[in-house]
Amino acid sequence: MKFVDEFRDAELGRVVANEILASVEPGRHYKFMEVCGGHTHSIYKYGVDDLLPANIELVHGPGCPVCVIPMGRVDDGIALAHEPGVIFTCFGDMMRVPGSNGSLLEAKAAGADVRMVYSPLDALRIAKQNPDREVIFFAIGFETTAPSTALTLKRARAEEVSNFSCMCSHVTIVPPLRALLESPDLRLDGFIGPGHVSTVVGARPFEFIPADYGKPVVVAGFEPLDILQAVLMILRQLADGRCLVENQYKRVVPYEGNLKALEVMSEVFELRPHFEWRGLGFISHSGLKLSEAYADLDAERRFRVPGVPVADPKACQCGEVLKGVIKPWECKVFGTACTPERPIGTCMVSSEGACAAYYNYGRFAREREVV
Amino acid sequence: MSDHDGCVSGHCITCGDEATPMTVLRVDEARGLALCAADEDGGHHTVEIALVAPTGPGDRLLVHAGTAIASLQEASA
Repeated sequence: MKFVDEFRDAELGRVVANEILASVEPGRHYKFMEVCGGHTHSIYKYGVDDLLPANIELVHGPGCPVCVIPMGRVDDGIALAHEPGVIFTCFGDMMRVPGSNGSLLEAKAAGADVRMVYSPLDALRIAKQNPDREVIFFAIGFETTAPSTALTLKRARAEEVSNFSCMCSHVTIVPPLRALLESPDLRLDGFIGPGHVSTVVGARPFEFIPADYGKPVVVAGFEPLDILQAVLMILRQLADGRCLVENQYKRVVPYEGNLKALEVMSEVFELRPHFEWRGLGFISHSGLKLSEAYADLDAERRFRVPGVPVADPKACQCGEVLKGVIKPWECKVFGTACTPERPIGTCMVSSEGACAAYYNYGRFAREREVV
Repeated sequence: MSDHDGCVSGHCITCGDEATPMTVLRVDEARGLALCAADEDGGHHTVEIALVAPTGPGDRLLVHAGTAIASLQEASA
């Protein structure tokens, strides 16, 4: 498969792994954060970490859009799903995220009309098929997903679909990274930048990381060789005393991003003054809401939502996992009270969540065996 | 992970940052949509193409949540 097979070549992988081994400084411990949950998933699916020297530690960042949704926001979605006549649509993983009193899946079992969709377009199609019902799309995701929601809202407007609205919980990637870099309990040596968020926003927005915090960033693809090469590129920057944003994923990511996508996003969305992130608290200008021009398609204006913040369960340490302060297996409930089948925390829900990735690929060991 | 709602091929194609390579089979210019086949499993999907237009049959696209967010260019592989 073009663009895939060549980036899964085992022999090439061993060559890059040997170059990484030759590039590490003996006695130095390196901590690199992969920002994106998709990278976390690939690392454990392909055993990328087993090819790295023991003194390179990968820290899993906040880039899983399901994992960062706070419980209060789930409760808001459930409240909308229970409104008379409403069909509530959302992505599959979102249905299993626990709120303070159950999940959307449990709301569905209790009688609410909650439906899983693969895209906002599917939600719009349901609205057109059910003109006597109100159809709400629970929009989550980073800048990768936001253009899809924006285009669907434009399409709803153009096709005059008046029974469609959106509960917008889109978030942006730069503010939480800045919050993490300001966190005193986190020491990092570099970042593996998010590949597909960068397809939309470009690599330029990450320039503040080397400029303001002195940490290298390498935007990377999702195949095992992409990730290994990104690690090598960060190591070479550190060894050479360079510190900048590099683009390993040039076959997909233009440095300036997708200008059409940025344009449609700026038309449909505007920044919220602040947005609550699970484990990270309220972060200024980190969430999107519908702009005034699209206010009539905003479910939060069309319906009444509780909007009550809810504290995370005490046993759950998703916040520390999202900040990379602890490993998933260090959480008190990992793999016991909290499993993918019965998750307590969001990191165990989505396959992009660090806890689910560890659990599903059997990463319970406290010591890594390097091959 | 097959027991996860909405997840195929070991990961969730809708929620994560990760997008999926697909090949354009047919374009509906009037509606701004394309019928595409996913590389991973051959499944057919209706895809919004406003962000990568113009596109045509045989083109490779990177698709996320039903929207093509980039064209995969042979020359830059």
